[in-house]
Amino acid sequence: MDPDAVAKAFVEHYYSTFDANRANLANLYQESSMLTFEGQKIQGSPNIVAKLTSLPFQQCQHSITTVDCQPSGPAGGMLVFVSGNLQLAGEQHALKFSQMFHLMPTPQGSFYVLNDIFRLNYA
Amino acid sequence: MGLGEWGKRGRGREEMEEQVEGLGRAFVDHYYYLFDNDRSSLPSLYHSTSMLTFEGHKVQGVDEISQKLNLLPFDQCQHVISTIDSQPSSFTGGIMVFVSGSLKLPGEEHQLRFSQMFHLVPSSEGSFFVQNDIFRLNYG
Repeated sequence: MDPDAVAKAFVEHYYSTFDANRANLANLYQESSMLTFEGQKIQGSPNIVAKLTSLPFQQCQHSITTVDCQPSGPAGGMLVFVSGNLQLAGEQHALKFSQMFHLMPTPQGSFYVLNDIFRLNYA
Repeated sequence: MGLGEWGKRGRGREEMEEQVEGLGRAFVDHYYYLFDNDRSSLPSLYHSTSMLTFEGHKVQGVDEISQKLNLLPFDQCQHVISTIDSQPSSFTGGIMVFVSGSLKLPGEEHQLRFSQMFHLVPSSEGSFFVQNDIFRLNYG
């Protein structure tokens, strides 16, 4: 399957799930998964989901500006580099962010997130 | 030692995190020093399998990457790094490094803000090379 198409499909799935119900992100992470969110490091799906569901906003909307992807090596992994805007309900200005994902294939033929790093882009 | 070994021991994981952070920082310092002071030496950090995506333009291999970096429309520049985040990327010693910062060009009043990610892979000589490199300017 075309890597760019896989990356685009993942990005759409990830952010629509995030914006609809963050708890549903759980099956995109495994025990070995790592998230660094604004410098805070978290490991393992339950801890990652706990962090994301406890972020200080109820509703949000991601809108994606750029998606770049590259294969990461012989294990079939894929790197996805995203930039976009994050609009929080009630806030006048959207926040700008960049995020990278390292996706690894699962035996079932899909992907999970092994590495996830998120940073807001301040002016 | 692979990722799985480190993961089994809580205290070991902290040590690994510190080691990975240290390696990430050392690489970032070296990379941007070369970029700003000796750009023609940058290709030594890449191998034939390396990939660079620069503002959406993809190139592969040392020659193409070298050409891309040499043909950027500025001779001098200075990178100022704001954040560096690192994580082990796999069970074989790779490291993900995620950088944000500013790029100053001479004669330009405003700095450009950028984000960049590197996937570093151990080389047979005992150091790292850049397997993956993605660069984006942050507008707005």
